[in-house]
Amino acid sequence: MSLLDEQVSVPRRTMTLFFLIDTSGSMEGNKIGAVNDAVSNVLPMLDEISAENPDAEIKVAALEFSSGTNWLYSEPKLASDFVWQDVRAGGLTSLGAACQELSTKLSRSGYMKSASGSFAPAIILLSDGGPTDDYESGLSKLKGNNWFKAAIKIAIAIGDDADKDVLKQFTGNSEAVITVHNIEALKQIIRVVAVTSSQIGSKSSTAGDTTKQDQVIEEVKEAVENIDGAEAASSVDSSSYDDDWD
Amino acid sequence: MNELKKGDKIILTSGGCVKIEKELGRGGQGIVYLVDLNGEKKALKWYLKAPDDKFYKNLEHNILSGPPSEAFLWPEYLTRKQNGSFGYVMKLRPANYFEFGNFLLAKKSFKSYTAMLAAAIKITNGFMMLHRHGYSYQDLNDGNFFIDPDTGDVMICDNDNVMPQGEKSGIMGKARYMAPEIVAGGVPDKYSDRFSLAVILFMLFYANHPFEGAKVVACPCLTESFEKKFYGSEAVFIYDPTNKENLPVKGIHQNVIRRWPVFPSKLRELFQQEFSQEKLKNPNQRMVDTLWEKQLIAIRDSLVKCPHCGEETFIEESSTCMDCGKKIDTSIKLKIGTRTILLTKGTKIYIDIDNQPDAEVVSHPNEPSKLFIKNLTNYGWTAETPSGKIKAVDPNGVMPINPGIKIAFSNTHKGEIVRD
Amino acid sequence: MIALNHECQGFSHIESGKPCQDNSFSEVDPKGIAVAIISDGHGGKRYFRSEVGSKLITGITRDKMMSFISNFGDSNLKHVSFTSRKSVKTQIEDEDFKKQDKIDGAFRQLFGSIIYDWRQKVEQHAEENPLTEKEREGLEESWIRDFLDRENLEKVYGCTLIAAAFTPSYWFAFQIGDGKCFAVNEGGQWTEPIPWDDRCFLNKTTSICDTDALDEFRYCYEGDGKIPVSIILASDGLDDSFGSEENQANFYVQILKSLIKKGKFETEKDIREALPELSKKGSKDDMSIAMLYDEKKLRNMYKIFLQWQIDNLSHHIDEQNQKISEANKIQENLESIDSPTKQNLIDLQYANKDYDRAIDERSRLQERLTTLKEELAGS
Repeated sequence: MSLLDEQVSVPRRTMTLFFLIDTSGSMEGNKIGAVNDAVSNVLPMLDEISAENPDAEIKVAALEFSSGTNWLYSEPKLASDFVWQDVRAGGLTSLGAACQELSTKLSRSGYMKSASGSFAPAIILLSDGGPTDDYESGLSKLKGNNWFKAAIKIAIAIGDDADKDVLKQFTGNSEAVITVHNIEALKQIIRVVAVTSSQIGSKSSTAGDTTKQDQVIEEVKEAVENIDGAEAASSVDSSSYDDDWD
Repeated sequence: MNELKKGDKIILTSGGCVKIEKELGRGGQGIVYLVDLNGEKKALKWYLKAPDDKFYKNLEHNILSGPPSEAFLWPEYLTRKQNGSFGYVMKLRPANYFEFGNFLLAKKSFKSYTAMLAAAIKITNGFMMLHRHGYSYQDLNDGNFFIDPDTGDVMICDNDNVMPQGEKSGIMGKARYMAPEIVAGGVPDKYSDRFSLAVILFMLFYANHPFEGAKVVACPCLTESFEKKFYGSEAVFIYDPTNKENLPVKGIHQNVIRRWPVFPSKLRELFQQEFSQEKLKNPNQRMVDTLWEKQLIAIRDSLVKCPHCGEETFIEESSTCMDCGKKIDTSIKLKIGTRTILLTKGTKIYIDIDNQPDAEVVSHPNEPSKLFIKNLTNYGWTAETPSGKIKAVDPNGVMPINPGIKIAFSNTHKGEIVRD
Repeated sequence: MIALNHECQGFSHIESGKPCQDNSFSEVDPKGIAVAIISDGHGGKRYFRSEVGSKLITGITRDKMMSFISNFGDSNLKHVSFTSRKSVKTQIEDEDFKKQDKIDGAFRQLFGSIIYDWRQKVEQHAEENPLTEKEREGLEESWIRDFLDRENLEKVYGCTLIAAAFTPSYWFAFQIGDGKCFAVNEGGQWTEPIPWDDRCFLNKTTSICDTDALDEFRYCYEGDGKIPVSIILASDGLDDSFGSEENQANFYVQILKSLIKKGKFETEKDIREALPELSKKGSKDDMSIAMLYDEKKLRNMYKIFLQWQIDNLSHHIDEQNQKISEANKIQENLESIDSPTKQNLIDLQYANKDYDRAIDERSRLQERLTTLKEELAGS
């Protein structure tokens, strides 16, 4: 009888990737179309990363927020199982409510398992505007959440109307806010950010060195240089804004 | 066991009785109960093991004499001996006062340096009054003080150990707070109280015991014989300039490491003197309470609001803000006797020792650079201008800060505005 | 009382050539005093001598505990019922924050002496072993300064600590940082006697090298005659391989069963084999384990442990049954819809998948249950 016979299970850990998607009225048209297209295309890639990774399996959860908030499913799903349902745009930008909702789910009574069975989650926030609700109280609640503190947080600002200050507050780092100026860039960036976050987020880390978030930022920045219409720096050159959203 | 229960009636020596409502807390010697005295809520301290007759007589005497100052939560009524023990009745402690120990563990922290200094001055004044009344405290420790973190107001509790000087209450205090000669077996007196006061003040400012450094932590278990050494025969101040063997240790004495440089050098020097080997060994050289009070007031006078960032900062020679690092103009001052008070916008001025601000430096609403002193007291002041005109400064009234103006705040407190 | 301990290099450390930064220690002295200690040196590059730090601290802790036991223990801890204390910061947030008493003061003194001695030895080590060229590689300038200026020297050697001691009349355990301490009583019930510190989360941990280290210690003690049958300390490399406390306790049950059946020598061999395999399958991290157990009491517990495993499995089977019936309900509801929407179809797909998974999982669990039941019948 070995100590590790069939009695003892050594489960893989879980890394959950959260998409927080702004589905307010301004996203209507080809922006939301691009998001739907990009996310549904990236899912099989995440499944691949998950399958090849002995450290952790990747689960996906998605929250859309406009006048209210809505989780696509009532629990995170394995990347291989996740069926993307196209989201539709319309209404306001309740980012504060989204933060509240995310904070509730970032707990053992919500979507997370025990800390010893998990890696820090990765959270990708997509928005093209500014919050229309009391985002500060929602965000401050979220910032007190241990899972959120440990998470890889990347924001994608779609166009110049996105409130980059708010996104910076959300990610806690101006370098973690990527701005995109056209549909093609948006699609590419969603893919790069989701894939990079999943790869880095689902690996055992070496504690104390650069954070996983910094590693993701580093890699995403490199990729951004090769994508027209995407920029990693927080400063925005408005002349580069292609008015091709609608 | 002679614990009391709800509804028990305890008869007082003055006649009448208190009714037990519930337990409020307990310590080594006894239990404190919430009681009802003729419809008024009071606290009863009840001894689990009745101390001797001498103790009872002393309590009786102290109740008759009344409290040395309003800082003391003094025994008000004595109970008859009953149920195999006795106790005494005192006022209830207000809810916004927290035990000193909470401040040491950083469970509570002072709202401001002003509040911290107010607490230090109030404690010092309480002991001065106690000694003036001919008492010594005997068992001074961190459990005796309750402090309001917002204002720094202090209540001194457990006053049953207060004894006429030269007599011993029979209750041994904690070695950490005892003077070395008491640890060695001596009888507490005003000199040993002075030492204990210095320890309490040090702990109030720096949240660390003055003798607890490397020497003490090297030892895995503080047996009585070690305690006698560290707090008695071999006590060494952690910042003794002539002996570095007991320095604070990182990871353990973090509070004092952080705070030691923050307070003015004057305060550091005071403690280095008071805890020098010479004064440890010669109790009669220790600083008297009045001098402590004076020194603490001088330190409070050097505490100003930074006009740039609005934070409190101590002003020493460099006169830059501890917080924002900007230079602060300290050329204009108020002199009261030997005291020098810096006049920067927002700074509160304490003229007497009641810990209530009596004046505040304010600026003109339209001309922020022009400063005034506002009268926060409920009585008028008289000011004399350099040309000899006499002006009245009513409560809530203001007077300009111009060099040469002399102010009579009261018959005993007179000041003058000066510029360097 | 019997003590055993083992540490092994993590799978990822083998791959990257990093040394094992965990250290463990255990012993039973002639007076019947047993101690178990583990320490996990931090993994980041900044902590480039953490394997030295962890080795130093286990030795120091052993000496200080022994001195504490001979000077303080018996008279003060005897007859005291089980008490546990959180780290000061978490205590402060607690409403029922208790006043520190003599025992707490004594533990604080013990912890202070451990920190102090560790810092002294760290300094000594740094004096005797200057920075090598090889160590400099890949270090940030500020980390090198930590070492050279001695300003933050302790960071270079940073590590965690868990320790437990049994004496004939009382026991106690304490901890700073992550890793877990499990205890099991004669009824086979598992507890974690040392309170958790929420500041240890994912790869963050409190540490002996923190500026507020003394306030970060948490501990428990008991002197009323109740002593756990066994107490097991393990570093986070082990914890993180199981995903749940129950799963980890199950691994310990396997160890204890082996101790009963095969004795200490064979079981130690099994542990030496199991840990590297566990590291490879699980956390990839270094692993250390140190345990104390009462072999007389343990001897009669084989059936209790088996029953514990059976109950555990039965509970999991119930959970799968629950999932199956939930999925069933959804399937029935959705299949009865005449013209299902896209959402309906997706939900049905999920229900089918959940159903299949639960069925698989249930049969796997049932197989195990059968084995255990046979073992129980045979024992």
